[in-house]
Amino acid sequence: MSANHQMLLGHYLPGTSLIHRAPLLAKYLVVLIIGAAVLIFRIPAVGIGTLLFGVGLFALAGPRVLRAWVAPLRQLWWIFAILGIYQAILNSPLFALSLISGMLAVIQCGRLILLTTTQSALLDGLEAAAAPVRFIGGNPATIALAVALMLRSIPAIATSVQDLTDAAKARDIKRNPAILAAPVVINTVAYAQRTADALAARGIMERN
Amino acid sequence: MIRFNLAGVSIPSEDPSMPERTVLSPCTVELSEPRIAVIGANGSGKSTLLRLINGLVSPSTGSVEVHGFNTVQQAKAVRQRVGFLFTDPLSQLVMPIVIEDVELSLKASHKNRAQRTEAAQRALATLGLKHLAQRSIYDLSGGERQLVALCSVLAAGQNILVADEPTTLLDLANNQLLQSTFDALTQQVIYATHDLDFAASADRALLVSDGQIIFDGPAPEAVATYRQLVRDGRVTP
Repeated sequence: MSANHQMLLGHYLPGTSLIHRAPLLAKYLVVLIIGAAVLIFRIPAVGIGTLLFGVGLFALAGPRVLRAWVAPLRQLWWIFAILGIYQAILNSPLFALSLISGMLAVIQCGRLILLTTTQSALLDGLEAAAAPVRFIGGNPATIALAVALMLRSIPAIATSVQDLTDAAKARDIKRNPAILAAPVVINTVAYAQRTADALAARGIMERN
Repeated sequence: MIRFNLAGVSIPSEDPSMPERTVLSPCTVELSEPRIAVIGANGSGKSTLLRLINGLVSPSTGSVEVHGFNTVQQAKAVRQRVGFLFTDPLSQLVMPIVIEDVELSLKASHKNRAQRTEAAQRALATLGLKHLAQRSIYDLSGGERQLVALCSVLAAGQNILVADEPTTLLDLANNQLLQSTFDALTQQVIYATHDLDFAASADRALLVSDGQIIFDGPAPEAVATYRQLVRDGRVTP
């Protein structure tokens, strides 16, 4: 799995900073407050202010985490650029600026949680939050595990796409999403089956 | 003690008019030696034989019992006793950080997170892997990954380890490291391998060909028989 795929989503970077040690609930609250602020106050000052606040939090989490701030921009800059140009034409450049900066602030703060919290802590938090599902016969541990598997599968599928693209290139086959679709689906199903086997073999979850 | 009672596996043919395809012919064996190797060509039925032991595959005929527990009807009890190590450790490691993956195996037995972390650290220390605790599984070498996967399996406390070609993806150094780790285990270990030196070091070996156990006995003899069959071109993959 490439480092890019890991960093795009936010792969835990061990550390002992204040941000690393902060309770999960506090981290979620920060994301919630920033999200609410950029939704309610759609002005550049709030968008840019929350973005800079986010950068400050990344810096507080240490140099490795701060370096990871730029990772999604390397691959997704064009999406922000298209969205910015579209909004600037449709609405106004100031609206585009507040929208893009606000979006980026929320995305980056969400990534900060993943970068500074172990998956075990995330799972425990999710399991605690999902506890009420017990009243309707659900299992919070299963929900938490499903989310963990989902997080794990995103970079795995991205790597599969990359591998297949490389294989096509090596055989001088032109880049064609239609040709890639079938093997990606097959690889993904095989990956899901291997994961199910592994979980069943470890007694974590029974396979149906 | 693992007991196969006429256990066999067949799968339906793609053409309904054709008979079922036999993946493993019904066999009756008892496996009790500390180290048992399973050898044979690719597609011969080795993995199916191993997967029957912890219920990942259900027998179409007969039954398999582990310490008296049926692998189909009492799968949970069987998996509490049988750990399974896959060829590719990345298929088996669920969590992104080493210690988190070991902790996942301990979730059922240690509800308290601090105690769980402590137990995971102890498990890693047992295999000399404590220094890898905070590393990403994606940053490890193939050998380290396989050892971490082994640690995650053993952390759950099973007393039988089944390993499906655990050294296939490893280089020579990591291969030897894993073998020496296996040597030191107190668990019963049943492993499929293409490394015939590794197979020869077992207490007993099963030679599987075309879905049948064609030799069952001392490991060096099984390896010699296999070599002879390959030389004679009588091994069918």
